[in-house]
Amino acid sequence: MTQDSRTNSIVINGLNDSAFKVRLNRNLEIIQSVLANPTTVIGLVIVILMLMMALLAPVITEPNMPDPYQMPRDWQAARSAPLTPGHVLGTTNRGGDVYYGVVWGARTSLKLSLIVVCLTVVLGVTIGSIAGIVGGKVDEVLMRIVDVFLSIPELIFALAIAAILGPSFTNIILALVVVFWVKYARIMRAQVIRIKQRDYVDAARIMGDSKIQIYLKDILPNSFSPVMVQATLDMGNIVLVGATLSFIGLSEAGIAEWGVLVSEGQAGISAGRWWASTFPGLMVFLWALAFNLVGDGLRDVLDPRTETKR
Amino acid sequence: MSSADKTILSVKNVKKHFPIKEGVFQKVVGQVHAVDGVNFDIKEGETVGLVGESGCGKTTIGRCVAGLEALTEGNIYFDLPSDKIALLEDSEKQDDKKVSAEQIEEIGNSYDIGKIEGDLFNHYRRNCQMVFQDSFASLSPRQLVSDIVSRPLRVHNVCPENEVIPRTINLLEQVGLGAQHLYRFPHQFSGGQRQRISIARALALDPKLIVLDEPTSALDVSVQAQILNLLHDLQKKRGLAYLFITHNLSVIRHMADKIVVMYLGKVVEAGNTEDIFANPQHPYTKALLAASPDLQSEVTSGMAALDGAIPDPARPPQGCSFRTRCPVAQPECGWEVDDVVRRLEHKDSIFNFLKEVDQSDAFNAKFTFETEAAANQLMAAMKSDDIPDAMKKMVSKLNCDAEHVTVSFKPAKTVPLIACGNGSSARCVLVNK
Repeated sequence: MTQDSRTNSIVINGLNDSAFKVRLNRNLEIIQSVLANPTTVIGLVIVILMLMMALLAPVITEPNMPDPYQMPRDWQAARSAPLTPGHVLGTTNRGGDVYYGVVWGARTSLKLSLIVVCLTVVLGVTIGSIAGIVGGKVDEVLMRIVDVFLSIPELIFALAIAAILGPSFTNIILALVVVFWVKYARIMRAQVIRIKQRDYVDAARIMGDSKIQIYLKDILPNSFSPVMVQATLDMGNIVLVGATLSFIGLSEAGIAEWGVLVSEGQAGISAGRWWASTFPGLMVFLWALAFNLVGDGLRDVLDPRTETKR
Repeated sequence: MSSADKTILSVKNVKKHFPIKEGVFQKVVGQVHAVDGVNFDIKEGETVGLVGESGCGKTTIGRCVAGLEALTEGNIYFDLPSDKIALLEDSEKQDDKKVSAEQIEEIGNSYDIGKIEGDLFNHYRRNCQMVFQDSFASLSPRQLVSDIVSRPLRVHNVCPENEVIPRTINLLEQVGLGAQHLYRFPHQFSGGQRQRISIARALALDPKLIVLDEPTSALDVSVQAQILNLLHDLQKKRGLAYLFITHNLSVIRHMADKIVVMYLGKVVEAGNTEDIFANPQHPYTKALLAASPDLQSEVTSGMAALDGAIPDPARPPQGCSFRTRCPVAQPECGWEVDDVVRRLEHKDSIFNFLKEVDQSDAFNAKFTFETEAAANQLMAAMKSDDIPDAMKKMVSKLNCDAEHVTVSFKPAKTVPLIACGNGSSARCVLVNK
């Protein structure tokens, strides 16, 4: 008996190993096909650089104490041009260091987009799943609410909410969550309705698995890829809309945020001080572009229509 | 093949209607009669073949048996002891009042798969599994074969965790695969292999009955034969009963002990495979056999292939539902107003000037036309060769009053399944005539 069980356990351990390898290989395959597209690679490189900048901000620049998210003010050196000693990218009218704002702005943007994407994905996926699984009147009511949200243009809606809540960074997060969750609800509902009719869901029901297990094992993993694509695209869009709101002045004044910085610099543009708005503006552009490129690349690989071909 | 003559599944008068919903408020505007009163039994270790055109309700029956659909009416009993079967049969005879309603309910609560709960239902889950037609859609693309096949074992805690993988390998070996296939994704297999994985999953809980919903229809012919032989061998080894759903008559002849032929949600003929192939009774069965090219030589009647499509199951014909396409339809088949429209709607311009139809029931209607000429055209058509003689005989009233045409038929009853003497039964007025 001992002989038998020992060989069994060896076999099992050996095979578990290969289960892990197979999964890893499949993920590597997916990554490989994502990387086969040159524009995606460009996007990915920019994304990685941005993320490094955001994560290493305290290393790259001296944090402004006590609150590093506040721009340091050097009133003596206000309006200095780029390449001034101590201010590589120049300063704004009010003495804010543009280089510091650009670097810590990446950190602010990452914080903003990650928080908003996480909250909207959780909210949207939950509500979309409920609508798709329960169906009937619940679905009807939830989707009409979603329609109301979708009928108002993204930016104007976010603007209105942020304006009502008052200018603060937290309120921008709240406004963006309110605006961005609906898309995930829509996507998830459509996916759940599509997947729950699959024979493998019926097979799981016939074998007697519980509804929660069927949702977690069959429906959720097979519905999730469009949500992931949308989340990647939104990582860019959220920063774009967030910067717009800050630019208009719905964020706290003086924080290291690209939109705030652009707005601070715009007064000087006509006087020839182009740098204070250009560098943070360029960052917003690159950030949104990079995440859109990566999102498009992911869509090509993960799109449900090409799923069966793989 | 039926070693013990124990009935393991009794399908009694099963009906499944799907509501048709319309508008914002999802108002129910009609019912699709997908399955409309079906009866059959499956004995231990035997194969019952369910045949019919697409849309006849055979897949719905399979889903009902597998417990995926709640029945609109009727019962499906699993593993009913013989004394309880006798009791139910007694209760079906109206004159016999010995069986009380409580007794029936008690049987329902412990054997009807629509009513049993908890452990009893789990017991049924373990004993009835299903294999689907589309092996792509029936295996989750994100799970490894090991997860797919071992899942039933884990759901029902059949064995300790360290035995799960050896048992999974054993299951794969039983279907002609092996340990080397454990850690692959379904998309890495061919259609036949994927169907084998489906079968392995169905076998995991050691069921007594497997519903096979067109398991070979999506496969190459050579692979079909392999899968059929595999199913055959498994049945011999394990004493499995199959409910084999297919539209392929040569497959059913190879596999089934008994055949149930369905048309428009109803059983039109049922009996032993050999009896039905040797001597089909129902005109629909005859037509099906005639339409199956490799069997033609053995069918005595020289019938042509069927014309037309299955009538709308949301408005199934009264009387015999096959009469709209039947080449030997009789007056007693039960004709109705819809038949007039079915027969004449392809004729030029007869219904072009139709203003409204006032239909009190299936057998009486008043057509109102815009012009008198159009009304006369319908009158003429009703007397022409477009309307079969059998139908003309059942017209009880045919009036033309200016632009109104009144048509009435003698009402007809649903044709029952009649025993044909040789053990099979058919739903046709011509049987035993």
